This record gives sequence, structure tokens and C-alpha cells, in this order.
Amino acid sequence: MSSDARKQVESIRGRVDEVENHLIDELRAGRINRREFVRRGSVLGMSLSTLGVIVAGCARPDVAKVSPPQTKPPKPGGTIRAGIVAPAAAIDPIKISDEGGLAVLAMTGQFLVFSDRHLVLHPVIATSWTHNHDGSVWTFKIRRGVRFTDGTAMSAEDVAATFNRLADPKVGSNSLSTFAGVLSKGNTQALDPETVRFKLDAPNGNFPHIVSSDNYNAIILPRDYSGNWQSTFIGTGPWKLQNFTPEVGVTYVRNPHYWGPPAVADTSELKFYAQEQAAVLGLQGNQVDVLPHYSVAGGRALLTDPAIRTTQFHSAAYREIHLRCDKEPFTDKRVRQAMALLADRRGMVEGLLATKSDYGNDSPFAPIYPSTVKSVAQRQRDVAKAKELLSAAGKSGGFSVPVNTSNDFELPDLAQVLQDNVLVAGIRLNITVSDLGTYYGSSTFGTSPWLDSVVGITDYGHRGVPNVTLDATLTTKGPWNAAHFRNPTYDKLVASYIAALDLHAQRRYARQIQELLLDESPLIIPYFYYFLTGAHNNISGEYSTAMGQVDVSRAGAV
Amino acid sequence: MARFIGKRLALGLITLFLLSIFVFFGSQVLPGDVGRRVLGPFATPGAVKALNHQLGTDRSVISQYLSWIGGFLHGDLGKSVTGQSVSGIVGPALLKSAALALLAFIIVVPLAIAGGVFAALHEGRLSDRFISVGGLSATSVPDFVWAVLLILVFALWIGVLPATAQAPPGAGFFTQVEYLILPALCLVFVLFGYIARMARAGTIEALDADYSRTALIKGLPYRSVVFKHVLRNSLLPTIAVVATQVGYLIGGLVAIELVFNYQGIGQALFRAAQQKDFPVLESAVLIVGIVYLVATLLADIAYSVLNPRIRYGSET
Amino acid sequence: MTTQPAATTGGAAVDVGGVAAQRGPSDAKAARRERLAVLAHSKTFIAGSVILGIWIFCAIFGYVIAPYDPLKTDPINALLAPSSSHLFGTDTLGRDVFSRVIVGARDILIVAPLATLLGTVLGTALGLITGYFRGPVDDILSRIIDTFLAVPVVIVGLLALVALGPSKLTVIIVIGIVFTPVIARTVRAAVLSERDLEYVAAARLRNEKTRYILFAEILPNVLGPVIVEFTVRLGYAIFTIATLSFLGFGIQPPAPDWGLQIFEHYGLISGGYWWPVVFPALAIASLVVGVNLVSDGLSQAFER
Repeated sequence: MSSDARKQVESIRGRVDEVENHLIDELRAGRINRREFVRRGSVLGMSLSTLGVIVAGCARPDVAKVSPPQTKPPKPGGTIRAGIVAPAAAIDPIKISDEGGLAVLAMTGQFLVFSDRHLVLHPVIATSWTHNHDGSVWTFKIRRGVRFTDGTAMSAEDVAATFNRLADPKVGSNSLSTFAGVLSKGNTQALDPETVRFKLDAPNGNFPHIVSSDNYNAIILPRDYSGNWQSTFIGTGPWKLQNFTPEVGVTYVRNPHYWGPPAVADTSELKFYAQEQAAVLGLQGNQVDVLPHYSVAGGRALLTDPAIRTTQFHSAAYREIHLRCDKEPFTDKRVRQAMALLADRRGMVEGLLATKSDYGNDSPFAPIYPSTVKSVAQRQRDVAKAKELLSAAGKSGGFSVPVNTSNDFELPDLAQVLQDNVLVAGIRLNITVSDLGTYYGSSTFGTSPWLDSVVGITDYGHRGVPNVTLDATLTTKGPWNAAHFRNPTYDKLVASYIAALDLHAQRRYARQIQELLLDESPLIIPYFYYFLTGAHNNISGEYSTAMGQVDVSRAGAV
Repeated sequence: MARFIGKRLALGLITLFLLSIFVFFGSQVLPGDVGRRVLGPFATPGAVKALNHQLGTDRSVISQYLSWIGGFLHGDLGKSVTGQSVSGIVGPALLKSAALALLAFIIVVPLAIAGGVFAALHEGRLSDRFISVGGLSATSVPDFVWAVLLILVFALWIGVLPATAQAPPGAGFFTQVEYLILPALCLVFVLFGYIARMARAGTIEALDADYSRTALIKGLPYRSVVFKHVLRNSLLPTIAVVATQVGYLIGGLVAIELVFNYQGIGQALFRAAQQKDFPVLESAVLIVGIVYLVATLLADIAYSVLNPRIRYGSET
Repeated sequence: MTTQPAATTGGAAVDVGGVAAQRGPSDAKAARRERLAVLAHSKTFIAGSVILGIWIFCAIFGYVIAPYDPLKTDPINALLAPSSSHLFGTDTLGRDVFSRVIVGARDILIVAPLATLLGTVLGTALGLITGYFRGPVDDILSRIIDTFLAVPVVIVGLLALVALGPSKLTVIIVIGIVFTPVIARTVRAAVLSERDLEYVAAARLRNEKTRYILFAEILPNVLGPVIVEFTVRLGYAIFTIATLSFLGFGIQPPAPDWGLQIFEHYGLISGGYWWPVVFPALAIASLVVGVNLVSDGLSQAFER
């Protein structure tokens, strides 16, 4: 390491807080790697250039350098077409909750912060951000010269109005579940045209993720936005609405008021498909250039298609198998452990997902999260131990139990593999597969197969931080606690984890949570699947996120 | 005749009214509420409640039905829970289904009648068995199976036709037809067997009938007998089949429309039912019902015009 | 004869109005013998019976003759192409497609006939009543029948699935309900031409109960069209069961149902994995062809 680099790092250390200095120590000590350092540093508001300087000054030589895939740059002009599953409802930034809808939002809309595939945060509408000592107040600097697609200027007032609208219980936004206990209406304030301050309900070490593209409803809208987004598609992004035909698709032209570099292609198009299989055929039949997201279950055909280039990246998306802790036979944790030990994760990952996934260890802590402790032993199939546990619990003869799931992706397949896996111990699963709406029902306890079933298999999308899933799916008051798990120790650990600002403390709580969940086993989380993007070989420059957003402004034919 | 049509129309209206009630109250068994379905499982209960209030879906079942039917009678189909106007969803969907059905009929009717008449003229011979059994087999294979196989062969292996039915916006007439060929072919396979079989049976019956024999004895050329008498009579049952298949073609093609990503009325229905989008579901079912009733009425009229031996039956 | 064409929302249409119903009950035995003779010489009937017979054999002995357990998953060996160890290859879960196709005959051969039977029984009863009484009873019931005919099958399927939960019983009920009005119309047409015949008038003069006249006097004489209608509907039932399964409303996994197998794998065809789709598709096609051939033979026999 050159003394020059060391000097630069020392001067940065003098300017940043204790939390940031602690992070630099972790990197120096080798307890986190370069990527984890950049991820965490970006959340805390350190600029990417600063992080680069520190990495250059501290990183150990053994950290492998990741080189971007070699693709030719696209030629300017033409049109770029992407295929998505049709939005499930009217496209309203406040309301949408499905992948199709959020992909449409992100074409013209932009976020304060962009969360990339590696969970590194990049400034977009915000140029920088800082926090107070405990992470309960966050201040964002807003970019100058940003205009909406209709030509009006955007300022901090619009940003504040956007977040106060989303946090308003009366408006009923889809973000309310994310903002619960984090941000209340009226607590976002424009201090001046270039500064916005968030006063949080409780300290939150990952707050920038919550206002980033991970919170897909949070595109910046004009302060006087009154609904009916579908008629304007107003936003601040590189594209501007040309034509929208419900159920068919959207066409875009370059936004003449865009603050950033103009889009490579002249026009772009989102084409809607009723279901994934049709979209896969659309890509193979050259009706679209890019398929921002496909699953192994729906798009296995693309994996072997020589005309298609697949980009894959890790995500925190998973399938949850819940075991109701308040219902026989799962009141006994040994029975739950046995179920988890019987699951053949290797078969699931290699067979169902064609190896396109990371192994799960029965907690929402995905390997991609920097706070996840990877040294916690991975649970593996162990039939003998499972049988031992069952007989200790007085269930050596096995039992019969119903399983509910929805007819999406590989969920029915997963149910069938699990059914076959547990049969060796005499456990018989009776599967009921229903459509998504039926499975979720009213999504309230008592009238929802999802939340009421003894065993249920549910799809959880990618999240930039595990806060919401840790809290909502497993705490005593969690609204999505399908396992009906009640554990005061766990509740306290999650509260501490969410409040923790520095990575070291986050990891300390993460380890305890991971170990507690392995012992209690309210959930089986067998894998975190990769996010797959398909594109024709003659296309380059598309960038999709694990949320399902796609940026085609830098894409085109080569 | 006018009285007959008048009575049928009046009865049809009663049927449609019963249909609207059936669909409305039937759809109440669907679980969950509209707000929940729009917002998804992870929205807070408060958000769901707020949306339901905005949409009016928190009102009583009866009041929702009355306000919907009031609008319908004034030609206002109301708004979908997705915010679109219902006529803006159902109208284009109906046109698309009609276009697909029309193309399928244009291909299959002459083909199947020719096949059926040909088979009848060669009754019992190999060509007859081939057409009859072949047609039957084609008909027996579910439409979605044909869809998958045709996509495999024509879109992926040979690569001459698009794999989906939705032409790009602004496409010309011939491009649109090109996109519709594969789904229309599925329907051709499914319908060919029925129509050919009816045409064959009608032809055989007509050939056996006294008037054909008389015509032959009178010395009229065989070919002219076939064309004048037999063809007209074989058309009768064919019309009957075509009319009853309209219900299947307009509204029953969910699987094919799914596979080809074609936003016809079948998919509109399916989606509306899954989304519990009552205004769309109700309007779409009623429109399919109207199409079905009008088609069977027209078929009956055509039937009686073409076949004067049949009076208007016992109901009139 | 009615002006309404034989209602066929699918299935090979057979014009049965009044056919075989013109005779009195006296020469029924001779007619039966004649029909059997016709059947024995009908090539279509024999061919259909053979195909149907093979599938019935598979339905009964499927688990015995299948080379693998049709439910045993082996995800590591998923999507193997057809070979000598797996004649029809393996599916996405590594299950043997050949075994699943063979065993899959059982569910469909239980569900389809029961569903058709339900529709035939309900439809026949409704047809007898509407055809015999006419007047307001007929008018009201006929409107209800028309209403049902106008509801798309998919909607009935979705509502019933949600109300009753997905199971074989639900599929039977859905198809039974969908078929009832169609069969009722056919039977009604046959009854209309029957009710004014002498033997009915005689029974009425003897002061027989209406129930007796309907089921003991008229029913045997319209049985021909009912049987033909049953076989025609049976073919269509298989088509409909496959469609319901394809839309996810029907028989639940892991059952080796043919329609479900196609639904689970049709997206893979474009990737070159044709075998998990093509073999169940051929199974459905051959079964329906078999049923239709039998029905063709039967209708020929009844039309003589």
C-alpha cells in the first residue's frame, strides 16, 4: 500500500463519523470484503468516489477484482423493446405492488437513490445524504436543475410532498407497510429547495434503502400530484410517455427535459404479456429485445437458447415454507426441525432452479446482505436425525398435514418435491394449489389461506434490507406472520438489529437471529433464487434490478 | 315470423337479466376484497380500506348491483377497479375475439363443408374414413395443445409465423392477419371435425331423400343435383354448429388466448374473475351472453328460411 | 322436432331429436338385438372400443405396470430425454413421464364418466320435466337453462373452484353443471315428440302418476338419444377436464393428470423439452378419439 493512499484514507477518516470509521476498521481487519464495504458505505452516505479511495487504500490484495462482462457498446438510435408481465391493476405510483406495475413506474419515474444489483446505493435525485449520531434523522441533498417530463422544475418541496403522501394513512399507499414504525406523515420536511430532512419514528441504520428504488412506490412526483398517473406518466427520468394502451403496452420517446445524459435509443417500448410463458415466447420470437425478469420455472427454455444472453445476479428473493407453531403437530419445535432437515435443498436448487440460486438457511438473511453471518452452519438434509427428532416428539409414525400454495413460478413444484422429501418419515402432505388471489385471500388472519394454513408456501420478493421480512413475517405482531411464531427474544433481537447503525452490531444481532431461527424453525427457507434477465445477443446496455425495474436508457442494438 | 323473433327477443332479455344476477351473486363467493386484490397481499389493512372506499366496493352488494345495472341500462358500463372504463376494456377485447373467430370461420367453413360433402360422396371409402376420423381426431385434441404444437413448429422451428397473436401497434391489415394465423389454425382444427361431420351427415341424408332420387331419375346431371339440393341441405346443420360454437369462440378461448397473449374477451373475463373486477366481469359475461343468444336466434331464422319444411316448432 | 338445433357447445353434434323414439315399446327387444348386430360389425365402434379398452386397462392396472413410481421426484435427473430407461423421458421434477401417462388414465377415467353421468342424469330429468309439462314450468326452466348455456365454462369453473375448493369432486360438479342444460335440451326435444304418442295418452288414461309416466314410460323410449348424448359428452368432458386443469382449476398436483402435465410443461417446449407435453397430449387425443369412435358406432346403431 502506498503511503499516498494511506494519507488519503486518514484524511477521510478525519472527516467522517464514528460509524463510518468503524466500517473502515472492519475492512482493514478483513472482517468484511470490498463489496460489503461499498454496500454499507453507500448506505451511510459516503460517496462512491470516497469509497473507491478507501478501498484502494485498505483492501487486501486477495480480494478478487470483479470485471464487468465484455459487451460491445450499443449504437445510438432505433428503438429498444422490453417485455414484462402486464400490470395487475391501474398504474398508480401510490398503489401498485406488482412487478409489472413497478417496472412501468421506473421507466419515467426516478427515486432519491438507486439501489443496484449489489445493493450499493447510487445518488439519483438526491446527490448525497448524512445522518445524525443514532440514525434517527437523515438529511438528503437534492439535485439541482431537475425537471419533470411536463417541463416544470422539481425541488425539495416535491420530494417532501412525495414522502408525506406515501406515509399518509388516509391516502392508503402501498408503502405504508414499509414506513410503519419508520416514517410518519409530516415528518419529511424541505429545509430549503435543495435539502430534505427525514425525522424517523425510531433509529434506522438502513433508512436510505427505504427511500431508494427498493421502495418501488417512492418515485418523485410533483407536490400537487392528484392521481391519474396513467394519463401523464409524469416523472423525472430519461423517457417520456408517447402512447399507453392498457393490456398491450407503453411506448416512450426521449424526455427533452432530462437532467442526465439522453437515452441511447430514440424510442423505447414496454410490451405487456398476460403471463410469463407468453413473454418468454415473445423474446424467443423476437418481439422484444429484453426480458427484464424471468424465472427458471417459466423460462427454462431461455437457458438453452443460443440466441439469448442471460444475465444472472444474486437476490434476496426467496420462497417461504411456514410451519404453524400454534397448530399440531408443529407446536413441538422438534417436529419443525425434522421437517427442515427432511427438505432436500440440493435437489431443489439443482433440479427446480437449475442451480440458479443460493442456499437458504431457514432465515430471511440472504447471503447477499452484508449483515448476514455466513459462518452459521448451513442446514442440510439429514433423514436419520429427522427421524430421531420425530420419535423423540412421539411422532415416529408420521402424520398427515395440508399444504397450501399458489399457482406461481415453481411453487407447486416445490410443494411436490417437499411432499416427496418428507414421505420417508411417514409425513404425508396434501397439496392445494390455488390462484394467487385465492391463496392470499383477504391477507388478514382468519380469512386468508396464506396466513391460516398449517403449512403454506409463499413467494417473497427481493428487498434491499431484510428489515421488513424479519419484522412482518416473524415478530409477535407481524402482519404476515403465517407461522404464528411468538418469541419475545426474537422480537427484541429484531428491534435491536433494525436500530443498529454499524455493521458490526448488525452482524452481532444477525448471528443471534439466524441461530434462534435455526433452532426454532418456524420457517423453511430453502433458497434465495438468482434474478435472471434475458436479452438478444445483439443487444447490450440493459440493466435490471432484483426488484424488477429495468433501465433501457443505455441500451440498444450493437 | 315477426312474432317469433319478437318472442325470442323478449325471452332473451329475461335470460340476460337472470345471467346478470347469477354472475353478480355468484362472483360474491370469490374471496378477498377488491382493494386487497388491487393492492396485493402486503399492503396494510388501512390502505385496503381507503381504496375500497374510493372504489365504492365497501357498499352493500345490492347497492353495488343496482348502481351497476342502472348505468348499464343507460349505456354506461362503468369503471373497472383498475380505473379504466369498462367499455374501453370490453370493446376492444370483443373486436379482437370477433376478428379471430371470423378468420377461423373464413378458413374452416368452406374447407370443412367441402371435406364433409366429399366424404359423403365417397361414403365408406378410404377417403371418407380419413376425413371423418382425421377430423374427429383434430377436434378431440384440446385447443391449447394445438396452440403449443403449432407454436413449436411454425414459430420456433420453421420461424415463419409469430409466436404471439398481438400485432405491434400501428401494424397494417396483412400483418395483423399474419399474427392471427396460428391461433386461427387452432380453431380450424377444433372446428373442422364438427362442421365436416355435420356437412357429411346432411349430405348423406339429402342424397337418400326422395327429392334427390327424383331429380336423378328425371335425368338431371349428378353434379347439379349435388350442388343444388344436397349442398343447401348440408348447410343447415352446419349453420347450427357454427351458431352454437360462437359461444365457445367468443368467451371460451381462455387457454388459446393465454398461450398466444391475445387480449380477447376470454382473457378479459378470466382476468376480471380473478381480480374480482365486478364491473368488467358482469359486462363481459352479458356481452358474451348477448352474442350467444343473437347467434342462436339468427341460426334458427336461417334454419327456417333454408328449410321450409320446419315450422317454428312447438314453442310458438 | 324443435327449431332449436341440437345444442352443442362442443363435442361431435348428433341430431337425436326424435330418432329411435318413434317405435312403441313392443318391439324394443328386437331393436336391441339389431343394434348389437350393427355394433359388432361397426369398424369405428370396434376401433374405439380397443383404444378405450387399453386406457381402461391402464386405469385399473396402471400402478402395477408402470415402470416407476409416478409420484417419485428426482430433481437432479429432471428433463431427461426419452431413452431406454425412461421411454417418454422425465419431467421437471425428474418423474418418469411414461409412468405418469399410464397412471394418469385413472383420474380422467373416473372423473370424466362421473361428471358426464351427473350431467346426463340431471339433464335427462330436467329435459323430461320441461318437455312433458311445457307451459310455465317449461318456460321458467328453459330460461334458466338458457342462462346457464350463456355462462362461459371458465367462469363456472372459477366460481365453483373457489366455493368448493379444488378437488376431483369439484371438477365433476362443474362439468356436470355445464353439461346439464345441453343434455336437457336434447332430451326435451326427444320428449316433445314422444309425449303426444298413444302409449303416453294411455298411461294418462290409466291415471298413472306423473312420475311413473316420465320415468317408466317415456324415459325408456328416449334412452337411445340419452345414451348417444352420454358418449358424445364423455369425449367433450375429457376435453373440458384437460382445459380446467390447464387453467389451474382442476385436479391438483402431484396427481399425474394429463392436462396438468401439459400445463406444467408447455412453457418448456420452446426450449426443446417436448416430451413432457407431447405424450400427455397424445394420450388425451387418443382417449377422446376412442370415445368418439365408440359414440359414432353407437349413434349409427341407434339411427338404424
